[in-house]
Amino acid sequence: MTFESRGRSVVALDRISLQVHAGEFLCVVGPSGSGKSTLLRVLAGLHRQSTGEVRIEADRPGTPLTAMVFQEHALLPWRTVRDNVTFGLENRGVVRAEREARAREMLAMVGLTRFAQHYPHQLSGGMKQRVGIARALANDPEVLLMDEPLAALDAQTRAIMQEELLRIWATLGKTVVYVTHSLEEALLLGDRVVLLTARPGRVSQIYPVDLGRPRGLEVRASPAYGALLETIWSRLREEVVRAIAADRGAGSDGVAT
Amino acid sequence: MSAAGRWLADHCITIGSPIALVAAWEWASAAGLLRAAFFPRPSTIAVHLGDLALDGTLWGHLATTLARIGWSFSLAALLGVATGLAMGLWRRLREGLDPVFAVIYPIPSVLFLPLVSFLVPPGEIALVVTTAVTSFFLIAFTTTHGVRQIDRLVVEAARHYGAGGWRLFAAVLLPGAMPSIFTGLRLGLGFALIVVVAVEIVSASRGLGALLWLSWQVLKVEDMYATFFVIALLGALLSYGLAALRARLLPWVPEVGER
Repeated sequence: MTFESRGRSVVALDRISLQVHAGEFLCVVGPSGSGKSTLLRVLAGLHRQSTGEVRIEADRPGTPLTAMVFQEHALLPWRTVRDNVTFGLENRGVVRAEREARAREMLAMVGLTRFAQHYPHQLSGGMKQRVGIARALANDPEVLLMDEPLAALDAQTRAIMQEELLRIWATLGKTVVYVTHSLEEALLLGDRVVLLTARPGRVSQIYPVDLGRPRGLEVRASPAYGALLETIWSRLREEVVRAIAADRGAGSDGVAT
Repeated sequence: MSAAGRWLADHCITIGSPIALVAAWEWASAAGLLRAAFFPRPSTIAVHLGDLALDGTLWGHLATTLARIGWSFSLAALLGVATGLAMGLWRRLREGLDPVFAVIYPIPSVLFLPLVSFLVPPGEIALVVTTAVTSFFLIAFTTTHGVRQIDRLVVEAARHYGAGGWRLFAAVLLPGAMPSIFTGLRLGLGFALIVVVAVEIVSASRGLGALLWLSWQVLKVEDMYATFFVIALLGALLSYGLAALRARLLPWVPEVGER
């Protein structure tokens, strides 16, 4: 599976060219405003890029190319957990029995079997995000897109969810593009880390994460982890400083705050 | 403490305050502090209410008023929701209708009675249409707002997962607007009661408003108060009924202001 996007777009992205391998967990990091989310939205087909192209190799007609897990979960409040998970299948005309079997399977995978008939407002933040993940996976996409899915959660819940994600990914072998602002998270989850520059976002550097698999939170204690974190952080730091400086400049012009 | 006991303890002020008020009124009337001609004792009013119910007078008027509210509210709800949805979905329509609504809406609805009487057959139909006007605007307003306030991220996610066209409307926009629509229906129903009573006072010989006004004109003050009480009770029942319906139909809406 490859995709390329050469967006010389006004918004955010400039000459991004990336290849994601089948089954890979690719993490994208960068300073705020580097267009991480925009990149993901272009991949998801939510943004039409003005130039450039996205190519996703797929050999299973009938399943969508991408499915997105949104940062603010974006569940439909008027649908039960189960009906949120089956929503995409319903829209594609999948028959009821198959939809429900699929929902059961996915809810079991994210550990929400008992909550199938609950409504989103009855769930905690972490549980809502599990539903978001189950909803995306139920569609069996070529690429799973995740836009800072754990950013809104508290630290403990986030740590649990990170390990859950690793388990699910190991089970299903999905190709994942994962946007995060947390370098630690990227190193814990990713096969490679793509570092984007400050606006306009370009690929600054791509770092392979050779920390072995299966990986758990204990990887943080290894020297290799510390060294890689330091390497990427020193580069990311420059970009963050540049981004802040650029924002200040814009702020003093009264353009943005 | 038993469940009933706890409930009573929680609600003692809510239950106690109207009882205290009625008791004070009873005492003041009996002691001659209030003129019984204008403020008869609540116990006397209750007896008159019983008489009105027993001889059937009350039920006839009540049925008439209920039928009028039923027709008016159905008319207002049907047209209001349809108009509101259309205005919520199409910006051009909204921009065109907003100023018109802004001008018409604040006019006290009873004033429409003569105008409506030119447009539709006077009498029962004019009365029903007049009653529907304010409710229509309220329902249309809240429905428009309901469509507009739907979380854009939710709509975007729904599109991403393949909902478009009719499906987007039926599975996302309409349910998303439902809480606001229900608020509009509840307000609209309340206003239908207010306006129908007002119109009945002005122009009808039957209905609770007419009964109240006629009782006053012949100085049957006890009957007036009895009717008054029935109208108040009717308003409360309609409002709670719709709230209960909403809780049943929209189980996904978190309870606001739960005590």
